[in-house]
Amino acid sequence: MPRLSLTPTGVGGYTTAWSLLLIWLLMLPSQGLAESKQTRGLPPPAVLNPAADLWRDIRQRDMPARGTTQVRGVDSAVLINANGDRWRKFRMELLIPAAGYLLLGMIVALILFYVIRGKVKIEGGTADSKLPRYTSYERLIHWFIASIFIFLAITGLIILFGRPLLIPVFGKELFSVIASASKEGHNLMGPLFLVALILVFVKFVRRNIYQKGDMSWLLRGGGIIGKKHVPSNFFNMGEKSMFWMLVIVGSVIVASGLVLIFPIFGQSREWMELAHVGHAIGAILMIAVIMGHIYIGSIGMQGAIEGMTTGYCDLNWAKEHHDYWASQMERRGEAVPNEAVNRFSDPDANRSLGRELREAEE
Amino acid sequence: MIGQFIDGPLWTFSLAVFVIGVAWRIVTILMAGNRPDLSTPRGSASSGAIRTIITRSVYERTAATRGRLLQIAGYLFHIGLFALLFFAQPHIDFYAERITGFGWAAMPHWAFILSAELAFLGLLLLWIHRLLSPVTRLLSDLDDHLGTVLVFLVMLTGCLALAQSFEALRLIHLLLAELLLIYFPFSKLMHTFTFIMSRGYTGATMGRKGVNA
Repeated sequence: MPRLSLTPTGVGGYTTAWSLLLIWLLMLPSQGLAESKQTRGLPPPAVLNPAADLWRDIRQRDMPARGTTQVRGVDSAVLINANGDRWRKFRMELLIPAAGYLLLGMIVALILFYVIRGKVKIEGGTADSKLPRYTSYERLIHWFIASIFIFLAITGLIILFGRPLLIPVFGKELFSVIASASKEGHNLMGPLFLVALILVFVKFVRRNIYQKGDMSWLLRGGGIIGKKHVPSNFFNMGEKSMFWMLVIVGSVIVASGLVLIFPIFGQSREWMELAHVGHAIGAILMIAVIMGHIYIGSIGMQGAIEGMTTGYCDLNWAKEHHDYWASQMERRGEAVPNEAVNRFSDPDANRSLGRELREAEE
Repeated sequence: MIGQFIDGPLWTFSLAVFVIGVAWRIVTILMAGNRPDLSTPRGSASSGAIRTIITRSVYERTAATRGRLLQIAGYLFHIGLFALLFFAQPHIDFYAERITGFGWAAMPHWAFILSAELAFLGLLLLWIHRLLSPVTRLLSDLDDHLGTVLVFLVMLTGCLALAQSFEALRLIHLLLAELLLIYFPFSKLMHTFTFIMSRGYTGATMGRKGVNA
């Protein structure tokens, strides 16, 4: 039994003495356990370090994960959470490098694709009329979810990659400020993503249900590979799949995020670790896909972003990429001359302008 | 050094600009006076003023569907921001220490977070709409965008400093708040104080003519 020889001086000394006494008292049951094992005639442990058994017991590797305690609280009966170490190793040694390679790979793939394929131009050139594609409300909620997503992606990536990537650049002190700001911002803006997701789901779900023609679009590579354009509906198979990914993976991200920022519903550490893993994997996947979405909308394809900025899309662009929808719109006389669009480019107000102009001519 | 400047002289200066500027603007408006109306009143000016102040602040049933969302966003932003400004514990502590010398009851932390969420939700929707809609884009000038950006940045840096653990984050938030205070009296943000006056004036003028406006 260890002997305690203490000469406490002042409050600090007493604290030290009490702490050591407490540790010694905590060691008593496990010593008893070790002694009881020896008395049962078991072979002596092969380890030389006498504290090994003690720590094995405290970490509860060979025992039930939970002990007994008078303290009422989540995980209060767990002395050391061994799963936490496994989760930490998974995060540091697998999740972060794999996520980094995936995002880096996506950037490289997009650059290569741009170099090889170049910008997808409107083959027939821009037309002299446009089709109303998105209403103000649709554009509003698109850019709302986009701005929230970009903010969450940036702050989330800082939190995930900060230790290996940013500390060497900024140093620990500055990084601690950036990390704290990112964490607070991420937690505060996170619930807004749920609101945005609901708004987007309600508004766009009807047009994203798979229908005839979608599979043939997919089988022909969406027209991205090769030079031939493939007809599609208002949304093509790729856009619809991205929508469902946004809804399903987005829901996982939101649910796991809520588990993480509201640790008040009795969730254990294991649930929190699981939520973290699901949150990170879902977010990384979504960031990778959205990178492709941003590429197509910006430098990848001529005329693709126009619908989301002005509400109108070029008629020839619509015919080349969304032919079924464009033909339908043309038949209904919804095409609007460019001059009329430029005069007052509100697609809500101009919803029937094309038809009215045609009727006036007749 | 720069922290001391933000915390000391710049704070005093910005507060002085805000108080004097706002007072000057309000006094100027009040001093402008009214043209004498010699016609026989067909209704009460005061009741017209009160009616318009109230009716212009409540939900407009005839608004179009898309206008409804913006009305709700407007309420969310203004109520959220008001609650944050005057009932968030860190702000009350700040006012008590720097201005009033006394504090008051703060809202609970969850309400603080909820107010921030609502304020951000409202501001983002209104801001994006301002940028997207051809009508509001034409109506907006640099002042509108600058005011929105400043308010957004003050709110954002405030939310980034929520942990209250880093002096640098608090100073960035304070610096932006000071810039907003300096800009405030010279901008359309003055509607914070003048909206009641303008609505009351319109209501009184119309009320006197017997028009329900």
